Amino acid sequence: MRKGLFSLMATFLMATLITTGCGSTQTQTKKEPDKMKIGVVVKALNSDYWKIVESGAKAAGEKYGVEVKVLGPNAETDVTGQISMLEDQITKKVNALVVAPSQPASAIPVFNKAKGAKIPVILADTDAKWDDKVSFVGTGNFNGGKLAGEYFGKKVAKGGKVVILRGALGDPTHDERANGCVEGLKAAGLEVAVIQPANSERGMAVTVMENIVQSKQEFVGVFATNDEMALGAYKALEAAKMNVPIVGFDGSPDALTSITEGKLNASIAQSPYNIGFKGVEAAIKAAKGEALDKRIDTGTEVINKDNVKQKSDELKKILGK
Amino acid sequence: MKVSSPQPLPGDSNGHKVHFRQIMQKLGPLFGLLALSGVLTYLSPYFLTMDNIMNVARQSAINSLIALGMLLTILTAGIDLSVGSILALSIVLMGIVVVKLGMSPIIGIIVCLGVGVLLGFINGVTLTKLSLPHPFISTLGTMNVARGLALIVTAASPISNFPEPIQFLGAAFLGPVPVSFLLVLVVYGIFHIFLNYTTVGRYIYAVGGNPEATRLSGISIDKVLIIVYTISGFMAALGGLVLVGRVNSAYPLAGLGYEFDAIAATIIGGASFMGGEGTVWGTLIGAMIMAVLRNGLNLLSVSSEMQTVAIGIVIILAVYIDVLRHKAAAKVKA
Repeated sequence: MRKGLFSLMATFLMATLITTGCGSTQTQTKKEPDKMKIGVVVKALNSDYWKIVESGAKAAGEKYGVEVKVLGPNAETDVTGQISMLEDQITKKVNALVVAPSQPASAIPVFNKAKGAKIPVILADTDAKWDDKVSFVGTGNFNGGKLAGEYFGKKVAKGGKVVILRGALGDPTHDERANGCVEGLKAAGLEVAVIQPANSERGMAVTVMENIVQSKQEFVGVFATNDEMALGAYKALEAAKMNVPIVGFDGSPDALTSITEGKLNASIAQSPYNIGFKGVEAAIKAAKGEALDKRIDTGTEVINKDNVKQKSDELKKILGK
Repeated sequence: MKVSSPQPLPGDSNGHKVHFRQIMQKLGPLFGLLALSGVLTYLSPYFLTMDNIMNVARQSAINSLIALGMLLTILTAGIDLSVGSILALSIVLMGIVVVKLGMSPIIGIIVCLGVGVLLGFINGVTLTKLSLPHPFISTLGTMNVARGLALIVTAASPISNFPEPIQFLGAAFLGPVPVSFLLVLVVYGIFHIFLNYTTVGRYIYAVGGNPEATRLSGISIDKVLIIVYTISGFMAALGGLVLVGRVNSAYPLAGLGYEFDAIAATIIGGASFMGGEGTVWGTLIGAMIMAVLRNGLNLLSVSSEMQTVAIGIVIILAVYIDVLRHKAAAKVKA
């Protein structure tokens, strides 16, 4: 009886593997075997942001006729999961790698391994202090945060204090955005009221913002290091009947809707589509041995009521909604 | 199978038929691993290559080590939810000692393993001496305390650039074989002897298999539990040492969710949540199954969402088999 069960288990696994895996194997065999393969490994595939990076990467793959596979662990905090994925891409002997490292310092040993296997590595979205990178494609979260800080300078009077809601402590993306904002605020003659983590979650941001309001802390604006938290902060402030500019980060579809409705003031948007597209473009050039700039800028911008209509239309086109 | 005598030995009762069952129980996970590998070899030309086998060996090492500590707690019908956090606190303190304060790597390694032992010891003591109702509570507490401390002492940022000797376990190779995997084999060998041929090892099985009989036979259950949780803490820190070598950095969110991978490996490997049942080699195979599954699905470019679903299904199937086995054993007894 047990034997039967084990074979059942094995068959089931096989079925799972075949159904989930055969799509990719078929496409591999259909096209010519020498087709260039680019592996794109991002921090996670659980948000609109990375989905847009993915669609940019795939669009570049289609344009240049190369095979692009976009992978990412379940959570941006799964650092070792991402490293295993990179190792497995090296085993697959991809022609070039485009990587958005979750924890840049931790990824350096595996980058060196890629270099040992003669696979060029393009960093996208998040840079790493690794001398052998072919290029960095992106704007950097620090610069985005700084832009937000400077934006407050145009919206509120000098000397005002701004609340910063950030993602989980220890998450480098949010470290950079928060630090960048602090610098931008200083440059604009503003101060930081308080920096509180709300773990990138809308629900937690509501709670944290309620507590800040309760504490009678004075503030003239709120910056959240992602849109989810900005939307949560809006909820709490709406309930408290407080009207201060709230700026999010990512330019997500929900945030754009909220900006259109006059709720959120602005969202800082990197161009995830360009990061994916230009990342793959750079990888193709690198694989062919062509020279590349060490830094490819993909732009960061503020989306507010002035340009939100145009940006939403673009986003809808990209996400195919 | 519940152990009814105070000094249980494997395969000591009930004749030939049950003996066959026990062998099957041990080999079941191995068949699963072989079947899985067979399928992956067929589906991906990259799977059965030397490079990739060594990849899997490396990728499974950390979970294998942590799961071994977890196995001991599960053998006593307990659980250790704090392993991921213990790992994080151990390595970031080592980072502070070695990288920030510039002390010798040896001291760093002692600090790392020492923190693991200390936190594990605290788990055991709070469980037994405070009479907390279940290790779920004591280790859940430690899980949060240690994670919080790891964030505090590092101001939430990673520590990088460790000296060579500290990276040895996680980064070095002996020929084509990663040192981390050799470490796994040696440690598993030691634990096999410890659990099967030492008095304390047999007590660990006895505590989980039949705590009442164990208590009546004069064994100090508290002592056994404290030893078990201390070892689990040590193994978490050892896993951390390998992780530091693998990524050349210590970060406060390291090991997030590792407790669940470790629990999954022991359960897939045939250990029973009821306690008293499970082997070190089963656990190793459990950890390998998880690593092979993830590696194979990566090679096939299957999304990580799908991988998570696959691992969930494997866990439920493995435990369901365990349940059926218990039912069958109960029938034999009746």
